[in-house]
Amino acid sequence: MAVEGTSVALPQFLKKIELIKQGAEARVYRGSFLGKPTIVKERFPKLYRHPLLDEKLTHRRTVQEVRSILRCRKAGISAPVVYFVDYTSHCIFLEDIVGSITVRDHIASTQLSSAQKSPEEHLDQLAQKMGQILAKMHDEDVVHGDLTTSNMLLKAGAESGETELVLIDFGLSYISALPEDKGVDMYVLEKAFLSTHPNTEALFEKLLKAYAASSKKSHAVIKKLDEVRLRGRKRSMVG
Amino acid sequence: MLESFFYPQIRFSSVMYSTQELELFPDRTVTQLLFKDVKNAAELRKNAMEGKINGALINPSMIVSPFQVLVAANKAVHLHSTGKMKTRSLYSEIIYNLSPTNNISEAFKRFGMSDSDSAVLIVLVHLKEETQHMTDIIAKVDGQQIPIEDVSMLTDTAKVKKLYKTTPQEDTCLLDAVVCRMATKDVM
Repeated sequence: MAVEGTSVALPQFLKKIELIKQGAEARVYRGSFLGKPTIVKERFPKLYRHPLLDEKLTHRRTVQEVRSILRCRKAGISAPVVYFVDYTSHCIFLEDIVGSITVRDHIASTQLSSAQKSPEEHLDQLAQKMGQILAKMHDEDVVHGDLTTSNMLLKAGAESGETELVLIDFGLSYISALPEDKGVDMYVLEKAFLSTHPNTEALFEKLLKAYAASSKKSHAVIKKLDEVRLRGRKRSMVG
Repeated sequence: MLESFFYPQIRFSSVMYSTQELELFPDRTVTQLLFKDVKNAAELRKNAMEGKINGALINPSMIVSPFQVLVAANKAVHLHSTGKMKTRSLYSEIIYNLSPTNNISEAFKRFGMSDSDSAVLIVLVHLKEETQHMTDIIAKVDGQQIPIEDVSMLTDTAKVKKLYKTTPQEDTCLLDAVVCRMATKDVM
């Protein structure tokens, strides 16, 4: 019989499915759940932390992740569907976005292929879309916390055939209305973007322009972004 | 002649109900049965309360897809095995899990079958080999069994949208919106 409060079924299930990624925060698996292709994100215990603190932090991050996803989805921002959450083993079961590629891979391959007629123009459209969606997300007061081009997926839309941008990995996300937090969110993206994709300053500029144009609240965020650029992600505690 | 007489019946019975193994609990299987023109709703409900029907009787107008029921059943079996159920039995927990709110009596009222209903979706959680149980239940229902996929024809979409408080932006896939709310309701 199962010990009260803990799941024996979950660890056994995870052993049977494919481990696709191991990070500092969680392990990510791919498998079938209730007949659907599913991604399982498991936040494992950190043994270097005090068990009580570890449990609290892990629980909070699991909760924050599903809350942010739901908030985004309600606003019409594509994010994976949450199928099931286990708060005892801190596992989140999410929709597997089948047939998608990361924005990172897409930009890299577009930059490589000189064959395409106008790669610039094509990527400009994508940058614009990214700016618009991030503005929408920040309008909902969701701060992603880990914006990179690897955490955005492209998939072919259901009916329209138009490509859809899906945001993933809300593991470090939280709810905040502060322009400071949103500014840092954009700063993290800028750093990641420019270091992963060489010579894309102009492209990122387009993203920011679209971001600024699609939200009324973006002015304060861009102003903060300029401040953050000068001082870095962390606030100066001197003086 | 004879062949065409029998063949449709054989094919029919194979799609009548849906069974799905729970990947997390490989020895457990979830079976869903759907009936329309049900004349003994009150009797069935009484049977279920007395424990004579070992299954959950669900109001199919609140169900968008059999997957929605699977999500509720999986969660119920999980909470049952970890001793963290909010209600008294596995079957009442399935009904409770369908609801977007944490109000138990409200959940039964909206998602459970009522005496005046003429359609019912019955959910069973059982061992894979155990099928006698299913035959017994089918015998108890005075109504016409229809394929489980037809549940989408019984869905009261407007009511579902209202109860789960879905946004117009989520209209592209109602099932996704519903499942997300069910899966995350305990922390909202």
